[in-house]
Amino acid sequence: MTDEPKTLTRERIAVGDMWRYADDARSLPAAVPPKTLPSEPLVPQPGQQTLAVGQRVTRPDSRNHGLGRTKYIDDLAFPGMLFAKFKRAGIASARIMRIDTSAAEAMPGVMAVLTGNEIPVNSFGPTFQDQPVLADPIVRHAGDGVAAVAAVTEQIAAEAVEKITVDYEPLPAVFDPLEAMRDDAYKIHAPNSNIYASKVVRRGDVDKGFAQSDQIFEGRFTTQMVEHVPLEPHAAIAEWDANGRLTVWATIGRITLARADLARTLKLPMNRVRLIGTFVGGNFGGKNEISQEPALALLSKKAGRPVKGVFTRNDEFISSTTRHPFIMEYKTGVTKDGRILARSVRLILDGGAYCSWSATTLGKACILASGPYKIDNVHSEAHVIYTNKTMTGAMRGFGAPQVCFAYESHMDDIAKALGIDPLEIRLRNVFDEGTSSPTGQVLHSVVVRESLRNAADRFGWETRS
Amino acid sequence: MTDVTITVNGSVRSASVPPETTLLKLLRDVFQLTGTKLGCDVGDCGACTVLVDGMAVNACLMLAAQADGRQVLTIEGLAMKDRLHPLQKVFEESGALQCGFCGPGMLLSAKALLDDNPDPSSHDIRDALAGNLCRCTGYSKIVEAVQDAARAMRDPRTEDTRQLEMHGHD
Repeated sequence: MTDEPKTLTRERIAVGDMWRYADDARSLPAAVPPKTLPSEPLVPQPGQQTLAVGQRVTRPDSRNHGLGRTKYIDDLAFPGMLFAKFKRAGIASARIMRIDTSAAEAMPGVMAVLTGNEIPVNSFGPTFQDQPVLADPIVRHAGDGVAAVAAVTEQIAAEAVEKITVDYEPLPAVFDPLEAMRDDAYKIHAPNSNIYASKVVRRGDVDKGFAQSDQIFEGRFTTQMVEHVPLEPHAAIAEWDANGRLTVWATIGRITLARADLARTLKLPMNRVRLIGTFVGGNFGGKNEISQEPALALLSKKAGRPVKGVFTRNDEFISSTTRHPFIMEYKTGVTKDGRILARSVRLILDGGAYCSWSATTLGKACILASGPYKIDNVHSEAHVIYTNKTMTGAMRGFGAPQVCFAYESHMDDIAKALGIDPLEIRLRNVFDEGTSSPTGQVLHSVVVRESLRNAADRFGWETRS
Repeated sequence: MTDVTITVNGSVRSASVPPETTLLKLLRDVFQLTGTKLGCDVGDCGACTVLVDGMAVNACLMLAAQADGRQVLTIEGLAMKDRLHPLQKVFEESGALQCGFCGPGMLLSAKALLDDNPDPSSHDIRDALAGNLCRCTGYSKIVEAVQDAARAMRDPRTEDTRQLEMHGHD
């Protein structure tokens, strides 16, 4: 027998190994486990300290994040995997007359090229199926994809995209939602009106309320388009196997919806589509529906290899959904002491080229438009309008932040004009326990009054300079 | 093709790559060190931050050839032999990592700061992390975490106590 150890020690494996440090970290104690919860379901009583509220907790996935071990889509690779790039229209409104992909297809390293006419069902969307995977033949905003390329390297794919030539017949375009609402405006989804969803919330009689008011205030507020800018761009890998089954790894929040959309656009039975939701490097509402996935699937089918697509930061800005810009018109009737008797609100949402989650955003914005205030007479109406701009969709709050900015700014204006303290005018109007909202929902656990008072105490509202 | 030899996380590694290859591509695609992230590819977001000779750089803006002969530290090399780096530990405990995508770059920028300045003010931290964007946390937890880590690193005793508090109860 020699003294030579029979098994490889960690030191022997580790010499010269790039994983040395991080492998060692595997032997660390696991991240702190969450506090044990009782087996009996806990029904918290009002005012009772529960085991969850106020406790410091750690995210169970933080350990991997901090070690750089979390595998996001772009960290996955499969043998023979190709890289996809998209040709963007670069024109806001046009008809595609001809697409010439021959120069791209002739490039060494290019394994597949795809255009809109090859997509079995070229439309998708969570509410209306009005968005094409690749525009064909109508381009409705400059970020519309018109062709996709899969090549052995990203660089070759990007070069091939440059070699695709598209002849466009420019069409009229409309960028302002108020202009797009007019009857004679260019119809972006002809023959349908550009007003593609509306909602009205009515309570009491606003005209009567305004007639009884001592004073009436009007205000117009606008917000801008906002991109989610997740640090991780939209990314997916599609593999269409030889058995006709599709596997997609995607950074999508709603994987069941995405699976249904994939099956629909690709005309596949749903049991042939397997969707693997991976770690998401930031969603914020922007990754709630499919985008490039059907195109990647078809490129994979054509090339017989897995295909990865990662949006460039530019794609992310021009071709993913954004937050709706709002135009908000408020009219409020108040008594001399600042009590609100009537409020009418008109919201115009700039929806961009496609619906996405607009109908949801519109609904929530309209329901919340009059604010957390007891008002007997309310009329809120909201309309979302197609324009030839990047499409808008879900983003944190679904329309609530926009109307909040408007009704709170409006409240400040009213308080100033009436010479009432901005905190006081809110306390005179806010919801209480059991208040019914403008849609008739009776509200419970209402602590807005206490919250306002606490906040004012904490930041020294009374002693502000 | 360009021959590049760099010391990554203590190991000498060589590769022959096209001259336009960035350090980020070299690390991710050739060396499979995917902890370093690609966020914007134009040097704005800092997700690709690595330390080159101790200095925080955007790996997407540095050519692999420019790193030839240098020492590169990526997130895979930040944990110690038997424990996490104090920054990793504090980030984990304090919720400074949410989706985690900015984490590797954020941690390495913070390490470069603390190596240089063991007692940074909140302003110093914000300044040092100005090139690292995060969309989840709102930055306040990150700044607090770097301060906590700095405190722990200045006083190893505190560090041991914390270790006990965190892991000693199971």
